[in-house]
Amino acid sequence: MKQALENKRLKEDLSKKILSNFKKNKFNFTDLDLLIDTSLLTERSGEQFKKFTLTYKDLFGKEISLRPDLTVSTALKYIQEKKNKEEKYCYYGSAYRLDKEGDLKVFDQIGCEIINSNNNKSENILINSILEPLKKIKKLEVVLGDVGLFKILVESLELPARWKLRLVKNFSRIEYFEDMLKRLETNYDLDQQAIKLDTKRLKDLEKLDQNSIIGGRTVSEIVKRFNKKIKDPRDNYKGKKNVKIIRDFLNINSSIQKAESTIVSFFSKNKLSNLSIKNYLRKINRINKEIGKKYSINFKTNFGRNTDYYTGVVFLASVKKNSKTIELARGGEYNGLLRTLGYKKDIPAIGGAINLNELINL
Amino acid sequence: MYKIKIGLPSKGRLKDESLAFLKSKNLQVVNSFGERNYFFNIKNNNEIDGIFLHAREIIERINDGTLDIGISGLDLLKELPDVYSANVKIFKKLNFGFADLVVAIPKDWLDVQNMADLEEVSFEFREKYGRRMRVATKYPNLTESFFLSKGVSQFRVVPSLGATESYPFTGSSELITDITSTGSTLKANNLRIINDGIILKSSACIFVSKKIEKNKFLNLLK
Repeated sequence: MKQALENKRLKEDLSKKILSNFKKNKFNFTDLDLLIDTSLLTERSGEQFKKFTLTYKDLFGKEISLRPDLTVSTALKYIQEKKNKEEKYCYYGSAYRLDKEGDLKVFDQIGCEIINSNNNKSENILINSILEPLKKIKKLEVVLGDVGLFKILVESLELPARWKLRLVKNFSRIEYFEDMLKRLETNYDLDQQAIKLDTKRLKDLEKLDQNSIIGGRTVSEIVKRFNKKIKDPRDNYKGKKNVKIIRDFLNINSSIQKAESTIVSFFSKNKLSNLSIKNYLRKINRINKEIGKKYSINFKTNFGRNTDYYTGVVFLASVKKNSKTIELARGGEYNGLLRTLGYKKDIPAIGGAINLNELINL
Repeated sequence: MYKIKIGLPSKGRLKDESLAFLKSKNLQVVNSFGERNYFFNIKNNNEIDGIFLHAREIIERINDGTLDIGISGLDLLKELPDVYSANVKIFKKLNFGFADLVVAIPKDWLDVQNMADLEEVSFEFREKYGRRMRVATKYPNLTESFFLSKGVSQFRVVPSLGATESYPFTGSSELITDITSTGSTLKANNLRIINDGIILKSSACIFVSKKIEKNKFLNLLK
């Protein structure tokens, strides 16, 4: 009991200091809603989200969840307040998630978010603001990644369009992604026998009114996709080659100073178009120039895949304690999140949060 | 004397085959209280109290300790939360009540052969119509876990109580998952099973409560 009170006091003191730091960097404090309409979460991330959130039904049968994440709550606030210009938010509060056993875990977080900014220094401002309170911690390790790089890699591969889409969409689902790579190495998804039979049936479908609906889909939609699928084959050799490139890419791990040259030479070595990659890497360069000097930063292409709303730069600050990694802060860019929560279009956004529970234990 | 409480399915083929199974083990069910009464005994055996219940109810009652033994479907146990498997143990898989829980789509969806296709179509569906595909089912938990394991995340479960096969053609869902033994009902309703869409291979099982796992009566059922 005494320890719990002491921890609470420590958290309050620490949060005041960190918040005043955020405010100096022109972040405005905001109170976030504790409850979220569950349908907003499931419409965005699918049914799996419910497994990690404490959800209940209100008297009218509407499902409500305790906020599992403060970034989503901040994004919702931006939408609810009908903002349309740059906003810099900071907050202090708890996120609530269920673990695998179904027990509720509470994460006390203090963080900041920059939404709808055209300033190309937003990433630096945000990452600096999050790392600043941690800078005195000895042997602080920072890992940087960029999940957007993977999309560029996939675009430059010789692959059927549907496979490109599939790989990008499932990049954050690591276990299933591995499964997909195994499938990509074979021709599993095209059953030649079935295609032969279905090609005959296709003629009957083509005679129907193309706007008629079968199980919620139009006939033209089905016919179009079927034709696209059979005319978009791939061979085993290319499948294996592409999987090797993807695996090698996901093994890139270098200091941030060498990130650009490593990635550019990877693209050249594998004869991939590197026009868009050079342009894209400017962002990593800007971070390197401003933050790379102050902290020891490693760049990993495989990092930051667990959160499905990240679209670009992702970062993590941690320390090792008794050979265990203690995560102190993390964040990233989420340029597509607001649209999926109901905003009219994609807008740039980046955020990060410090894990107070871990910080006070150091 | 402690009497073992046994539950049997109250109707249909599962009831008939359960009775036949017990008879093959020299355990003959007698309706001592009349044909329409739910309680029964076993001939020449006064260690047993029996009751006919809905197959789903049998698992619930073993879980809460009201029953010690029961015959029901594996699919019904698997659909329930994991905590049930801690209390309700599978004693024996029986040689009847075979059925598969499968993913079925309208037969004219020629472009969808497997779950990977469904994953892709579900993303396209969401982009085009601004909502997730709906899957009608009596098995929401098994369906959700299976779809997610196959990478299909853009879906919504629509709970169904019956006639699930009609849902895609009444606008209530786009596809279904359902239990089938021959596939003929699905076929008759213009549905087709996806190639890798078998969620669970089920059969009738003898389920026992954790607390009587070592009871000697169980030897008679082996």
